[in-house]
Amino acid sequence: MRVLLVDDEVELVSTLAERLDMRGIAATWVSDYRAALEAVEKEAFDIGLLDVRLPEMNGLELKRLIEARRPGMKFIFLTGHGSEEDFKACTAESGKEYYLIKPVQIEVLMAKLNEIAQS
Amino acid sequence: MHNEDDTADTLGLHFFGNMTASISHEIKNALAIINENGGLLGDLVLLMEKGRPLDPERLKTMSGNIRRQVQRADDIIRRLNRFAHSAHEPATSIDVREIFDFTTALAARLATMKGVTMTIAPGPPVQMEVRPFQLENLLWLCLKHLFVVTEGSQSVEFAVAESGADILISLRFGTDLPVAEIGARVAREGQPLLAALQAKMQIDTSVLQLKIPKKLED
Repeated sequence: MRVLLVDDEVELVSTLAERLDMRGIAATWVSDYRAALEAVEKEAFDIGLLDVRLPEMNGLELKRLIEARRPGMKFIFLTGHGSEEDFKACTAESGKEYYLIKPVQIEVLMAKLNEIAQS
Repeated sequence: MHNEDDTADTLGLHFFGNMTASISHEIKNALAIINENGGLLGDLVLLMEKGRPLDPERLKTMSGNIRRQVQRADDIIRRLNRFAHSAHEPATSIDVREIFDFTTALAARLATMKGVTMTIAPGPPVQMEVRPFQLENLLWLCLKHLFVVTEGSQSVEFAVAESGADILISLRFGTDLPVAEIGARVAREGQPLLAALQAKMQIDTSVLQLKIPKKLED
């Protein structure tokens, strides 16, 4: 499974990528939307794990741009915000099962990735 | 959301809500990094038990990461605590640059999200007697409407000068910004605050200026 992680908190996203790698997930991390778009141009990913509140572009907008380049890619939104507004916006995009609130336990994330990959 | 009937107190509540939501997001990020570093430590110990050597340098790095994030969260919570107390602080004599420092620290994450760089022009202390929360709120409204109208990387510099019995607060924006629109939005939403602070607003090509008495008249 190839996963693209996008979050502006570099320490978070790099550590999470390492932990996913240890569990057999080919994880690539980037910290802004430009790098995310470059990554999907170069490589096909199965799932994108996107922070909702990214600098200069929110995760929902980024998802739409990635989908235009890589139709069929699936997404999980990860947020520290946990606001009703974010929840509604994200679940309107992809269903409430694809919305996780930081901090997330790795077992929960792994279960979600496997579930989405098999769906 | 706001409406024409908002009072300074209602605006203060909106301000408080915006800031605490942003602050809670920052704390969540610090916790998430601590969570991942703690989790990675557990992963590495499991691997060590299976025979993979554990590099002491990795442990030092993770320990440093955790300590740094604890410090970050502590700084954020101190700021939140100061902010919470400022909401009911009476008028007090304060250096305006302290208000700039605090407001820009509160708004830092939201500014980063919008690609806005905030700076404070250097200069000698400028004292005024004001309810800090109200001035912070007015400056936040200026930033909030800048964030609404900006579409790319932008900058804003906060400056202050004395002018007789008044102080002049200037927000100098980068190029190509509709400063008049920002001013109109601030005037509309912030009218109760402008009245409470007895502030007058002036708009130049790239500068929004607030003229406020150093000491409010009764």
